[in-house]
Parts: sequence; structure tokens; C-alpha cells
Amino acid sequence: MADIIQTLILGLALGGVFALMGSGLSLVFGVMRIVNLAHPVLIIAGAYVAYWGFRLYGIDPLMMLPVAIVILAAIGVVLYKLVFEREARSAKYSEMTVLLTFAIAMIVEGALGGFFSNTQRVTSPDYATDAIFIGDVFIPTGQLYAGILSLIIISVLALFLKYSSFGYAIRATTQNREAAELLGVNVNRVALVSFAIGIGLAGAAGCLVSFVFSFFPAKHWEWIAVLMSLVVLGGMGSLLGTVVASFLLSVIAAFVGTYVGATWSTMTFFLALFLILLVRPQGLFGEKPELA
Amino acid sequence: MSELLHVSNVTAGYGDGPAILDGAELRVEPGKVHCIIGPNGAGKSTLLKAICGMLKVRNGDVLYKGESLKGLRPDQVLRKGICFVPQERALFPKMTVRENMRMGGFSMSDKSGLEKRIDEIEELFPILKERRDQHAGTMSGGQQQTLAMARTMILKPDIVMLDEPSLGLAPKIVQEMFSIMKMMAAEGITILLVEQNALMGLKNSDQGVVLDLGRTLFSGPADDVLRDPRIQDLYLGGKKAA
Amino acid sequence: MSLAFNETSNVLQARAEHNEKLARRADRTRATWFPIVLLALLLAVPALQFVGNFNYVIHLILFTACYAVMASGWNILGGFTGYISLGHNVFFCIGGYFAGMLLARFGISTLLTAPLAGLVCAAVGYLIGRITLKTRGPSFIISSLALVMIARILFDNWHFVGGANGVALPANDLSVEWAKLPYYYAFVVLAALTVFISYKIKHSKFGLGLRAISKDEIKAESAGIDTRTYKTLAFAISAAFVGMAGAIWGEYLTYIRPNIFLIILVSVNMVLMCILGGKGTIAGPVIGAILIVAFNEIFVATLGSSEFNILATGLIMALALMFFPLGIVGTLAAKHRLPRFLNWD
Repeated sequence: MADIIQTLILGLALGGVFALMGSGLSLVFGVMRIVNLAHPVLIIAGAYVAYWGFRLYGIDPLMMLPVAIVILAAIGVVLYKLVFEREARSAKYSEMTVLLTFAIAMIVEGALGGFFSNTQRVTSPDYATDAIFIGDVFIPTGQLYAGILSLIIISVLALFLKYSSFGYAIRATTQNREAAELLGVNVNRVALVSFAIGIGLAGAAGCLVSFVFSFFPAKHWEWIAVLMSLVVLGGMGSLLGTVVASFLLSVIAAFVGTYVGATWSTMTFFLALFLILLVRPQGLFGEKPELA
Repeated sequence: MSELLHVSNVTAGYGDGPAILDGAELRVEPGKVHCIIGPNGAGKSTLLKAICGMLKVRNGDVLYKGESLKGLRPDQVLRKGICFVPQERALFPKMTVRENMRMGGFSMSDKSGLEKRIDEIEELFPILKERRDQHAGTMSGGQQQTLAMARTMILKPDIVMLDEPSLGLAPKIVQEMFSIMKMMAAEGITILLVEQNALMGLKNSDQGVVLDLGRTLFSGPADDVLRDPRIQDLYLGGKKAA
Repeated sequence: MSLAFNETSNVLQARAEHNEKLARRADRTRATWFPIVLLALLLAVPALQFVGNFNYVIHLILFTACYAVMASGWNILGGFTGYISLGHNVFFCIGGYFAGMLLARFGISTLLTAPLAGLVCAAVGYLIGRITLKTRGPSFIISSLALVMIARILFDNWHFVGGANGVALPANDLSVEWAKLPYYYAFVVLAALTVFISYKIKHSKFGLGLRAISKDEIKAESAGIDTRTYKTLAFAISAAFVGMAGAIWGEYLTYIRPNIFLIILVSVNMVLMCILGGKGTIAGPVIGAILIVAFNEIFVATLGSSEFNILATGLIMALALMFFPLGIVGTLAAKHRLPRFLNWD
């Protein structure tokens, strides 16, 4: 019994982290209708920010959160201005844009690998190897903190979207970009800020992930399919969907990992992705990720 | 005559593509309903999009109250006082009627009078008052068009541009749409519409403009346009009693 | 206020002229001698071995031809039909393993079993296509990525084929100067065949249907084209070519292993070659293959480390997508500046 509760809790903690990882992706898709395949590698970039902060200055990754968010958001602004602004204006959304994000992923990976080499890294603050015991159940504190913080950040995001006036503009743009523009929303600015927020979220996720998983530049390939499965299952553009799907899939994967075998737990995500794309491509709560 | 809007010799197209509009001319007089007709591909929708800033004006100019609109974004053009309702009606399907109306007031800097203004407009359109909590995506075509047009009135714009308001609507409903337009005109709004159904459009308008091959071929009082034999031949299906 | 037009016929005539101005005519002149001469030259190159050691050159041409086969194969699905697959190296792997295992167990050279491997890949491709082609655009791209991930895990854990360690294959008994030749000729011939079949497809009713699907699938469907069959056939045919390349490549390397076939660089290269050369054209994938292999050699020689290689590949891809989405052949053709010897369409 303790085994089951333990697996459940691990799955939930991981679910929180994955939800944060996927939230930025979902936000960017909602506003810009772009599937950003470079999102996972930017999460890794965020992990490196936390890693070097810890390694060089002894700063706890949780303290590095605001730093990672700001640095990655700035990268997001640069990327948007350089690449996506003109894509959005050409008004011809196609698979080429998705390929473009893929190319950017390769560029970022190459840069990270070139500067930081391919050694596996992990940030190791004390709590990463600690655990708390509740009866027979053992909960690693690293995962726990990461999960809790992820949920806090996502809640802040949700409140922002629902109650702030800029959040209102974002939601309108997500629902119907043309209508929003014609009613007075500066959609280009909305897209820029949303993209920056999305990448900033990637930075936050990277920070938290840096002490949960060990990472290296090429690790993002593993995560692309995982994140895609979350976001597609939940529904592209729906924050709620991403959160629900993250918890659902993480818990299932945790059980698969414990009772079937560790290699197969990642398979859960890929199979789920496959199935969802065939059975219900718009996911639980979302829009179809293709030309509207 | 003091014109509100003057489109002079405008060239425009989509992206890097060929010029759809090539020498379009248009003068919009305040308080009147203007109807643009012409065959497919003539550039009617393109003209409206160029005016409101959705498409880039490559050559020529668009003057509004003497000021040039060239290069402005649609949200900036809106704030000057020109509203545009595209063919797709630009509604938010997941929002309710009331929320859509509220979005109509998005660009108001002072939102304190918004709810009251929405109430005022709801009085003019009982069907919207009735369905204020219904999701816009579930309404019929005619109701959606009504909502789209009513929404433009929130900002008390000078000009409202409508791209094929009768599209997909039954003739009886189309008549209702034209009554709404007359109501808007009575409130002081100048209307510029593009109509595929040339006969009906011209019958319900004050001024008519004929667009073909990207340029203005003819413009004048709607009755004159209706009665001109050449126009009847080319665009109204041959000689008919107008 | 009215601009002059006198008779209705004036207007009608003006309309006809206007439409004529907007229409585009394809350039039908062709220099067929060029590919033939090129082929003849390539077939003659190994004669150089009589005068010196040109093994490196032979390897390069062989490598380029292999990629030319894969890129041209991919082009049938990605270029003609518009379905971009980032996971086509799955078939590279299946073909390689199928023929490789036959070689390992029964000693039959992959040069003989390659067509069979192609058929197997076509069958698998057909089945997979039936499933994944139900998705469109970005969803399809994502599903192709998921496919590679699934394949990687499967092959890494499949003990019958050696799991992650793979299987060693016997080399042929020819002497060092001639050892590469069978594979060289196999790839060059296969490349020529793939290009030729691409050409035939493009100029057939099937190809026309594929092109319609790539432009607007819904309209193609309503025009009566059986989009499902067409798409799956395109998928199967493209899988077959990639699979045949994989079969021969495995024997050439004398090793089959998941991390030879299923690395992301292989599938990216396939896609990039088509984009750089010209997606949907016949000459495009070949030109793209030549360019990418050349770039690769330059990068490895100057930058060495594989991570900078990835950065460079990504950069080329990004620049191509942003500024030359039609590729070299496509962009030149659109500006009516395509030199005739490159117009293989």
C-alpha cells in the first residue's frame, strides 16, 4: 500500500513540474498558433542558469528562479524580434514555422553544447538528496519543492490571465486574433509579451528541473515528445488542459515505471501522444493545432 | 462637399503577391450608406482591409478627416473612429454575447461608462438582450451578424465598414440587417459596405461604388448606379427593371 | 466622378488581360543531357582507383548518393504531398535492420535484399501512414517525432537484434581499393532510379493528386481525389526508398545499431536537404544532398566538435526557412532564373 501512495505522490510531484514545463508551450501556441519545438531546449538553458549560479556562486536554485526567468524572458524577446515577428506578419502559418522552431532548437543545443560541453550536470543543493518520511511513505524533498513551486507559478500565471487587463487581451487574442486586433488589441505586442512570458516560464521550469533530473544539451529530444504529449492531450492553448494532462500522464507513467519497468515509463507519454492525435486531436480542452 | 474618408489611387495586395487593388478611388460622405459592388476578385474586401490597416497600402493614400491612415495598425485605425466587421464577423465564440459586447469596448480608455453603454445598445437590439449570456458561437448567422454590428456601436465610431454582411443569411434576415444599418445611420454612423448581392445592396444604400479589376469604375448615387444600362449589363445580370 | 468606360466589352476585355497578367506559365524547356552526362561521369569515377587512392572521394560520392536517395524519397511525402515527417529515419532503420539481419544470419548480401527491404518498409509505411496521416500539419510533425522516440526505445531493448549494441555484419572479401565499389554503384544506381521515379510520379495523375493535397487537402477531397489512398501510397513509396538506402548503408558500415540509424541528425538532414535544394522539385533533394554533405565535411574539418556541427546545421536550416523557403531550385524557378540544367522537373 505504501508503494502505491509513494508512486502516486512521485507522479503528482513530477506532474506539477511537467505542468510548468508545458504551460509556456501552451501559452505560446494559444497566442501565436506556433508549436515551439525549441521550448524544451530553452528549459535546459534555464537549468544551466541555475546550475552555474549554484556551482560558481553557491546560490540555491530556488533563489535563482527570478534570475532564470528574467534571462530566459530576455532571450524570448530577442528570438521573437529576430525570427517570429516577421513570420507572424507574413500571415501564412504553415509547418515551415514549426520546422523553424526545430532549427532554433538545434542552434540552442549546439550553443549550449559548445560552451558547456556534453557532460551530464545536475544542481545539488542539500534538499535534492533529502527526503521526508510520512509513515512508510518516503517523499524526496527535491521533487516535492519543485512540484509545489511549479504549482505556485502556474497559479500566478492563471490569475494573471484571468484578472489582469493584459491577461484579458491575451485571452482574446488566443480565441480570435483577427477579432482582437479589430477591437483594439495591439496583437503584435501581445504576441511579444506572451512569447517572453512563455520562455520565461521555460526558464523557471529549467531552474526547478535542474535538481530533479540530470541534464545535458541533447536531453531536450527526450522532452520534446513528452511535452508534446502533455500539451496535445490537454489541448493546445488551454492552461487548464496542460495541468490536468500533466498530472494524469505523470501519475500513469510513475505507475508504469514502478510496476513494468523504468524504460517503459517514458513510452507512456509517446503512446499517449500517438493515441490522442488519432482519437481526439484537439485534446481534452483545446483547439486543433492546425490552420484554423 | 466635405468628405469623411478619401481613398485616393490606392494600390494594395496580400503579402508579396500581385496588386489586387490598382488605382482604387473612394469618397465617403458623412451620414450616408455607401455600397461597394463588383465581381469576385475585384478587390472589394481588399479595399476595406487596406483602409483599416490589415493590409499594407503600397501606393496612394487613405485620408480620414484630412489625416493619413497609411501605415497604421488596425487597433490604431479603430481608435481614430473607423470600425471594421470582416466577413467572418470577428466574434469570440467562447465568450457570451455580453462579454463580446464588453470586448467591443476594449479600446475605451475610460471604462466607467461601458456597462451603461452596453445596456443602451441592448435596448436597441432585443434579441441580444434576450441572449446576453449565450455563447456567441452557438448563435445563428443572423444573430451573429447583429451582434457584430451592435458591438461596433459601443465606441460611437464615425464609420463602420461591413464586409458582405448578408453572406450566408436568408433574404428575410438580410432585410433585417439593412434595417439595422439604417438605424445605425440614424445614430450618426456612416456606413461603408461591400455587397456581393449588388441589387439588394444598392437598393438599400445612398451611394454606390463599382469596383472592377482593382480600380473604381463608377461611383455616384445608388439609384444612378442601379439604372445605368452598362452596370446592369455587367453586374446586375442584364437589363432588368431596377 | 466616374472613370471612363464606354462599352461593356471594354471591361470584359480588360478583365481577360488582367487575368492573363496574373497567370504563371511553367518553363517546359529541359536539358535532359545534363543528368545523363552526370550519371555517366559518376559511373566512370571509380576508374580513378587505377591511378591512385581515391577512396575518400568514392566514400563522399557514395554518402551523397545515399542521402540523395533518402532526400528524394522523403520529398515524395514532404515535398509533393506536403506532409513533413521529422521521423523518416525510422524506415532507414527498419530497412537497415531487415537486410542486415538477413546478411548476418544467412549471408545474403544486402545488395540483393535491398529491394525486399524496400518492400517491407513500404508495407510498414503503409500501415503507419494509415494511422498517422489522419493528423494534419504540425500534429503530423509531432507524431513523426513520437514515432522515432518509440522506435528508439523498441530497438534499444530488442535483444534479438542486439539491443543498443546492435549486430556486426561481415565485410565483403574485395581488396581495399575495390571494397567500396559494389556499394558505390548500388547507391549511384539507386539514386538515379529514385530521381527517375520521382520524375515519373510528378508527371502522373498520382503526382497531380499529391500536389492538390499539398495545396489544400479539403478542396482536393471535394474534387473527388481519394486523399487517404494517395497519401498513404506516397508515405509507402517514400518509406521504400529510405528503407533501401538503409539496407545498403548497414552493410557498407558493417554494423547495424540504433544510434547509427535513429539519431535526429539523419532525419534532420533529409528534411534540410529538401528545403535547401527545393521541396517538391526533382533536382532539389539532390542539390541539397550535395550541399549538406559538403557543408558537413567543411564543418567537421574546421569546427570538429559535434555540438558546433549541430549549431551550424540548425543555423543553415533557420536561414533557409526564413529567407529561401522554396529552396535554391524553387527560388530560382519562381524568379524565372533557373538555369536549364537544373530544371529536372
